[in-house]
Amino acid sequence: MSAAKKPDEAYDQLLTELQQLDFVLVELTLYLDTHPYDMQAVQQFNQLAQRRRQVAQVYESRYGPLLQFGHSYSRYPWDWANTPWPWQV
Amino acid sequence: MNQIRTWHPFVGPFDPCPPITRKAYLVPPNLFIPYQPPNWPQFSPAEALKRGTLWPALYSPYESRMLEGRSEGQ
Repeated sequence: MSAAKKPDEAYDQLLTELQQLDFVLVELTLYLDTHPYDMQAVQQFNQLAQRRRQVAQVYESRYGPLLQFGHSYSRYPWDWANTPWPWQV
Repeated sequence: MNQIRTWHPFVGPFDPCPPITRKAYLVPPNLFIPYQPPNWPQFSPAEALKRGTLWPALYSPYESRMLEGRSEGQ
């Protein structure tokens, strides 16, 4: 198996941004469970979900799929097994 | 509000070890917020991830008291 290209700085930035967006989405999810009528929070949640999708799309187009079994597109050749793996970064 | 509370445990006269005279525990802010009001100020996403909460009012720092406890025990 060929060694993966060493991730650049943008890789870390994208992953960090994903992590931050995911965390805020978790917080808003828990909040909205008890505040279903908070329109502003729902709007914020949807905006962030959209932003997360964009960031994930950029990440996947550059560094490979984040999810498997059809939840992410794959590049050619199939690169699901290529390092770095999440626990290696 | 200071989140650290302290109490002074009983010290037995025959305690073979140097007594710990002051013990501390932490009361997180969510204990005093029965229902979170809407539209609270928020941290930025980066700050939120770092602090472990999206809302400053729920932030509870963790500071290790291990060293403090050791110096008191000696």
